[in-house]
Amino acid sequence: MTHDVLEDGLGALRRDIAEVHAPAALEAALVARFRQQHRRIARPDFWWLPPLALAATLAVTSWMVRMPHGTQLPAGAATTPAAEADAGPFLALRPLERIALEPGTTVVETEFPRALLADWGLPVAPDHAGEPVRAEMLYSADGEPIAVRLIN
Amino acid sequence: MTMPPVDTKAELALLARMKQGDESAFVALYRKHRDAVYRFALLYAGSPAIAADVTQDTFVHLMTQHRQFDPTRGSIGAWLCGVARNMARKQCGVREDATDPAELQDDARAHDSQVDHQSPLDRLLRGELAEHVRRAVAGIAPHYRDVLILCEVADLSYAEAAQVCGIDIGTVRSRLSRARTQLAQRLASYAPSARGMKEVQS
Repeated sequence: MTHDVLEDGLGALRRDIAEVHAPAALEAALVARFRQQHRRIARPDFWWLPPLALAATLAVTSWMVRMPHGTQLPAGAATTPAAEADAGPFLALRPLERIALEPGTTVVETEFPRALLADWGLPVAPDHAGEPVRAEMLYSADGEPIAVRLIN
Repeated sequence: MTMPPVDTKAELALLARMKQGDESAFVALYRKHRDAVYRFALLYAGSPAIAADVTQDTFVHLMTQHRQFDPTRGSIGAWLCGVARNMARKQCGVREDATDPAELQDDARAHDSQVDHQSPLDRLLRGELAEHVRRAVAGIAPHYRDVLILCEVADLSYAEAAQVCGIDIGTVRSRLSRARTQLAQRLASYAPSARGMKEVQS
């Protein structure tokens, strides 16, 4: 009997409570609160500060990137985009005194078989002799290679 | 007062939109869960005014503290019930520490403001039997009342009730069993008239 009373009672409670609804006025109050909160989030105090900081950072970075950098080329040598890469020093293929007296030189980026390095007295492993090598060649005014530096 | 059916993906999509400031998503979540939250608070607190405050505070919590919701631990509905429970306990001045044995005795009573001081004018439910049961529920100890409302009236699973109350499922089972016993004892005095009502209805 106790079980019946309990189940009957809980059943009645379930039925009646299902007819109870939250007060209608709550929704309007909550929606107003939601709008207020998101207006505050959308435009906080000092909202202009982050964009201003970003713009200033971009301007400084851009100025630093455009600053002229020094090169390791001999005086008078023309530059190429590859010459701005961080490569090693030039190796002289002719006496330094002669290179220093050259009136006009040109730097040309090129690619050649690694075996050619042996012609200039540089060590070459036989296994890699056939591989291509990227390099910058320093040419004299009459087209003679006078210095070289390997890019990779 | 069963919880609304759970479509987890749809609810999470609404929650994501709400976080982006989509008012319609917030309204959709509110309309889906408002009655369950209000009914839980009403049964817990026994006062429409407190239940309305608790409902409002619960949904303000949803819009401001939504990061606390962990979808891997349960549904939004169960989470909101947990928030409502905490709000209701604050409103009612209930101090319950689940590890405090003194407060977990079977004869622990509900807060005085919630029981035995209600006049016929304080009636919340239409049916006489339902109102009697509501008052009987309000009279049992808070830690049993929670579980009884959640499992027997709100129709939450044991796992969800455990999540709401911050206890394990075994504790939910034992508390529910004791809550049913306490409620049955309180209803026993009402049994003759309840049977009479059933006979009249039939």
